Amino acid sequence: MNNLYLVDDDQAVLDSLSWMLKGLGYQPKVFLSADCFLKSINIQQPAIAILDVQMPGMDGSALLNRMTEADSPITVIMLSGHGNIAMAVQAIQKGALDFLEKPVDGDKLASLLEQASVQTEQNMHRKVTRQELLNKLATLTARELEVMDKVLEGKLNKVIAAELNIAQRTLELHRQKVMQKMQVSNIAELAFLMGKSIA
Amino acid sequence: MMLTRLFLISLFASIVLSCSSYASSADPVRVGVLAYAHPDYVAKRWQPTIDRLAQDLNRPFTLVALTPNQLDRYVAQGKLDFLITNALTGVSYKKDYGTSSILTLVPLGNNDPTQSVGSALITRSSQAVTNFDDLEDLTAVSTDKQAFGGFLIFAGEMAHNGLNPFNHFKQLNFVGFPQQKLLKLVVSGEADIAILPTCVFENAIRAASIDPSSLHVVLTKNNPGFRCQSSSKLYPYYSFSKLGKTDYHLATKVIQSLLSIQPSDQAATQGRYHSWSATVNDSEVFKLLKQLQQWPFVTNWTSIFKTALPWAIVAAIILLLGYIHHLRVKRLVVLRTRDLKAETLLHTQTQQALLEQTKQFYKAQRVLLTGEMASGIAHELNQPLAGIRYLTQGCIYRLSEEQADLKDAMSKAILQVDRAQSTIKRFRHFCQQPSVMSHCSLNQILEDTLCLMGAEFTRMQMTPTFNSEQVNVNADPSLLQQVFVNIIRNALDATDTVKSPKLTISLSKQEQYALVSFTDNGTGLSERALERLFFPFETSKENGLGLGMIICKRIIEEHDGEIKANNNTDEYPSNGASGLTITIRLPAKGSFNE
Repeated sequence: MNNLYLVDDDQAVLDSLSWMLKGLGYQPKVFLSADCFLKSINIQQPAIAILDVQMPGMDGSALLNRMTEADSPITVIMLSGHGNIAMAVQAIQKGALDFLEKPVDGDKLASLLEQASVQTEQNMHRKVTRQELLNKLATLTARELEVMDKVLEGKLNKVIAAELNIAQRTLELHRQKVMQKMQVSNIAELAFLMGKSIA
Repeated sequence: MMLTRLFLISLFASIVLSCSSYASSADPVRVGVLAYAHPDYVAKRWQPTIDRLAQDLNRPFTLVALTPNQLDRYVAQGKLDFLITNALTGVSYKKDYGTSSILTLVPLGNNDPTQSVGSALITRSSQAVTNFDDLEDLTAVSTDKQAFGGFLIFAGEMAHNGLNPFNHFKQLNFVGFPQQKLLKLVVSGEADIAILPTCVFENAIRAASIDPSSLHVVLTKNNPGFRCQSSSKLYPYYSFSKLGKTDYHLATKVIQSLLSIQPSDQAATQGRYHSWSATVNDSEVFKLLKQLQQWPFVTNWTSIFKTALPWAIVAAIILLLGYIHHLRVKRLVVLRTRDLKAETLLHTQTQQALLEQTKQFYKAQRVLLTGEMASGIAHELNQPLAGIRYLTQGCIYRLSEEQADLKDAMSKAILQVDRAQSTIKRFRHFCQQPSVMSHCSLNQILEDTLCLMGAEFTRMQMTPTFNSEQVNVNADPSLLQQVFVNIIRNALDATDTVKSPKLTISLSKQEQYALVSFTDNGTGLSERALERLFFPFETSKENGLGLGMIICKRIIEEHDGEIKANNNTDEYPSNGASGLTITIRLPAKGSFNE
């Protein structure tokens, strides 16, 4: 199960929410401010965070911003004492899973948390996949990258060889190296891999 | 034809001739004579003299006996050609009507025409009068105020001695003519003293109409060669005068005729005179006239009026000018008063408007405060309610299947919490004031705000620096004013203890935003206070509610803007804090036309 983090400046609310979540079987970690949270947590690790919007210093929105910018896999649920539509839209646009009004009903929160768990896994998976792809791409030489781009454009070997002003045999060697390094067996697979990462 | 012409010529000639003959001979020469009483009597005296003239000049002469007033009128209207008057009257006309005395009457029994008449004070023999003071206890009678010998000469005498005849006597009555009547009054004791011309007394004695021992003349003056006793100086008596317009040929003929009258002629005997002589020296008469004119007791109203007329006109003009000036001043006062009234009214209106604005401001603030309080209270209540709800639901999750009744109760508790929350929510919505957005000028709102707070600046003895430019925004002016007033008031409170408080407000337009900044040199804020500046119920003020800044933030956010607070870092580092700067960023609009 993913880690669950609660951030709220009101200790009593934090404790009671924690109590309820424990009743639901979660083991939430609580933080009294965004700064505390950022200091003690590696936001690159998969987790679920329930953030209060109104907080002194860095507020919930700012914290969400920070995490989005850092490409964190953490799924965020925003809670607000008196939210309005504008705030909700803003939060969702920034990547929050949902924006709820305090106090949130336990059952509703439970289903949302399940959803968040899935989301986190997806986030994490996507993150891992991308990392792997990046790792593979990092092994390619400049020439190999060039060749790969042109291959993905669907050009024929002799055209590419002519454009790069190299022998067709040399090109075929480069192309073989690319397929090998990217761990794919054919062009279709390579195209799928690259296309997914772009999406 | 010829006949008609002849007729016309003859008619014309006859008219011309008749006119000239009428002018030369037919027109009677009019001689006026002064008569105080009994004009018939006077006319009878002078008629032979006039007849003599008519006879000598061979043309008609008319004698007109006139009272002094009539005489004045006749002379003024030029109805007379010659005058027979006493010396004084003749002289008095000289100035005004250009009469000139041509002959003086030589009285009977006296060959010096300059010493012809005087005044005699006649009293009972038993009455001793030795000086003017003795007259004070006596009742005096005289004929007429304007009688020459009878009154005026003696009046002149008294005036010469600095006395006023009208109040010097115990009593002074004018009883009129005949003159003998006055003597009888004195004899009978009805009066003590009579003022009469000289020789009246002597004539009465001669006529044996009075007992010479019963009366005597007092305050006599020595006049050698004069046959009667006199109490005054002597003056010439009658004079024959011609008026200024009278033809000198006629005057010459009249003089010739009069000079030819012999004492034995009927004209002289009937006229009771000796003869006529050339005009004598009348300077004494002039002196008398002057003396009398200087004293107001002989009131010659006409002459006084004439002398006074220019002065009266001048006085009238001055009075008129004064009145005009008065009117002008009054008009100016009215105008000025009206101006002042208008000004006062304007002032009152301005004051009223400012008061109204202030009232509106406070009303809006009350509403905002209410809203914000509701919001704040809602928030504050919401937190514990949220806590209760979480805790309760947490409990429910921990209950086993058998504890259904407990679960039921706790679910009900949650419902109660939800109910409370919905109430709070409704309350908050109710108190929230919908803002009315309009296209307005931000610099104008700032100026109005500064104007509204003028009194407070004066109290702080501070003049805020205001740099602005024209920036338009889409906003609710009354709400923005709330923001500005709150910020400025905070700045004033922060600079309360500072020696020379300063506040700089600047408004500028940067790209699509209007930037307003309020910089003070007050105490600034601690890091913690700065962090919690825009939270409700956070205040450093003793009686503060801590809603001002949250209201500001709420309003600015409603306008899609931002509000930030920073401690100043530059100016006085030794002072710890160097004041606070509040910056507001609002989306700007173009011109009003957009």
